[in-house]
Amino acid sequence: MIYTNWVVALAGIIFAIGAIGVMFRRNPLIMFMASEMMWNAAALAFIAFARQYHDMNGQVMAFLIIATAASEVGIGLAIIVSVYHKRHRLDVDEISRLKG
Amino acid sequence: MVGIVILAILAISASVGVVTARQPVHSALYLVGNILSLALLYLMLKAEFLAAAQVIVYAGAIMVLFLFVVTLLTAGKEERELPEDLPGQRIVAGILSVIVGGVFVALAIKYPGPTLKAPLPSHFGDLTGIGRLLWGPDFIYLVAIAIMLVSAALGVLVLNPPRKRRQQEAEAREQRAESKASPETTRKEREGTGS
Repeated sequence: MIYTNWVVALAGIIFAIGAIGVMFRRNPLIMFMASEMMWNAAALAFIAFARQYHDMNGQVMAFLIIATAASEVGIGLAIIVSVYHKRHRLDVDEISRLKG
Repeated sequence: MVGIVILAILAISASVGVVTARQPVHSALYLVGNILSLALLYLMLKAEFLAAAQVIVYAGAIMVLFLFVVTLLTAGKEERELPEDLPGQRIVAGILSVIVGGVFVALAIKYPGPTLKAPLPSHFGDLTGIGRLLWGPDFIYLVAIAIMLVSAALGVLVLNPPRKRRQQEAEAREQRAESKASPETTRKEREGTGS
């Protein structure tokens, strides 16, 4: 027997681990991957609720999440690469001063 | 039941691996494992199209992009992380996140909700069902996704311009800085060189 909220709890656990990753690590690439995991957890919760209520709109929202994550990764990696070309270090504290 | 528990354990251990891996390449590979086990979970939750989209878009496109950038920026480097500017921030953040996760688990055990065994309507979660929604009542989302993807591609081009344009911009900036620093002398110099 699988209950809906167990799947939602799994999504919550993955979300919390992703949040720990974003707050603990200083490498922007790893922080970015942790935030991807947080997106995925949200999509998993949407799909579990879509299964419970027999409503496909939750799956449409998960589709929206996947597309948003794709475009976000494009822009975020472009920002990381351009910051690296200026600073030559991978550390988020390098970006703390907003000077070119 | 057993399959879902195994997939959940796989997904959680892979996500712990993403956070704790020392090298970005390792955490990218752990993220692939996390994504694939989540795709199988989607399949068990009767979301066939989304499982396929997850594998194609995440494990195919996004992770290849990540691996390209990781190998471009961190190849053969061992960087130590700097000391923290904000002391105690990591401990507080860890405690708060563990509390959030624990509250989710406790609530799920206390209120399990209905079981996932009820019969489903036909075309639930397959290409026909999601296509009927996306080209019918939810067409606005499809248009929004299209606009978002195109503007993201344009944004990447603006952020990382081609080398020729970057050089032109740098030259223009230098000229502006020179003329601002000493407008009269540069004008004289230019006139001198002109005549």
